[in-house]
Amino acid sequence: MTGFRLPANSRIVKGITHAAPRGTRELRTVRIYRFNPDAGVNPRLDSFELDARSCGPMVLDVLIQIKAAIDSSLTFRRSCREGICGSCAMNINGVNRLACTTATRDLAAEIRIYPLPALPVVKDLVADLTNFYAQYASVKPWLQTRTPVPADRERLQSKEEQERIDRPAACILCACCSTACPSYWWNSERFLGPAALLAAYRWIIDSRDEATGERLDELEDPFRLYRCHTIMNCTDVCPKDLNPARAIAEIKKMLLERQS
Amino acid sequence: MPPRPLSPHLSVYKFKYTLTTSILNRFTGLALSAGLLLLVYWLMAVAGGAHAQARAARLLSLPLVRLVYGALIMAFCYHLIAGIRHLVWDTGRGLERAQAHRSAWLVVGVSIALMLLVGYWAWLAGARAP
Repeated sequence: MTGFRLPANSRIVKGITHAAPRGTRELRTVRIYRFNPDAGVNPRLDSFELDARSCGPMVLDVLIQIKAAIDSSLTFRRSCREGICGSCAMNINGVNRLACTTATRDLAAEIRIYPLPALPVVKDLVADLTNFYAQYASVKPWLQTRTPVPADRERLQSKEEQERIDRPAACILCACCSTACPSYWWNSERFLGPAALLAAYRWIIDSRDEATGERLDELEDPFRLYRCHTIMNCTDVCPKDLNPARAIAEIKKMLLERQS
Repeated sequence: MPPRPLSPHLSVYKFKYTLTTSILNRFTGLALSAGLLLLVYWLMAVAGGAHAQARAARLLSLPLVRLVYGALIMAFCYHLIAGIRHLVWDTGRGLERAQAHRSAWLVVGVSIALMLLVGYWAWLAGARAP
């Protein structure tokens, strides 16, 4: 259980300021959470001043520019740079988002970047997602069947049946939603969190899946599912415009309906 | 290896309409639970005979206690309207981002209107009382 206050080793101390290069015309200040696991000291908040014209339009471009030109030890995850891999999820100006799809011009002049909230920090903006992935695996995110496969064809679905799972299946597991959820901050060991529950929902409503009852049984738990109090931070932040809050509400409804 | 630090959460996360309406609902619920003690005290005094009742009436009409009533009425109005929003959500409706944003403002607006209405009514009742 996470407390309201950060543990002593996690409190952020004042960091270093890297002054803007001479001739800067469009000053942009970026404050970034830094933690070096080898230094044995608390995390700090460094300031990087740079010329906005020296880098591309997205927050990820700014991070890459800082790493290339100012401090090569700056550590963050990134891959696709187009919002499909989910690697560069981080807390930017107080909200979880993908650095690659967040334009700097949509943000305040000063940008503050922290790792995803309430997770153990590996280094700088890289948080440990082991528990998050384990929770995803725990909902068995694959097709479970009892009946034999039809001899002459695959397990087919109608267009409508596919459309029902289109949106929930588009989750990229960036963890923006789960780490935006206060319930998940306080109970991440027991509450599955919006991302894993959205995945569970995607398989529960899959017309081809035959383990719906078992899947619902697994979720019928005061913590795994019912720690969701419809705060709506998950749906508010999802960079893919998915709706974990509604998926969870639908699961709760299904549990209620099967009791009657 | 020393334990990894925990990344900041409450201290850095932006208080958008989502967090704000939710935490207000929590706080007002807590306040109302605590406020029940006042009601229990009053009920006990009523059951305890004329002497206890008169003492309770004196105590409960102190300005400070009246201020507490005012706060409790406000808490009740908000908690009621926010609770209705949660009931609608539990039917699976109104859970899209834009809808939730609109209903957050609706809850604030309607509960303030209700506070004013109840406040006006209580003020009238207070003015009529001897």
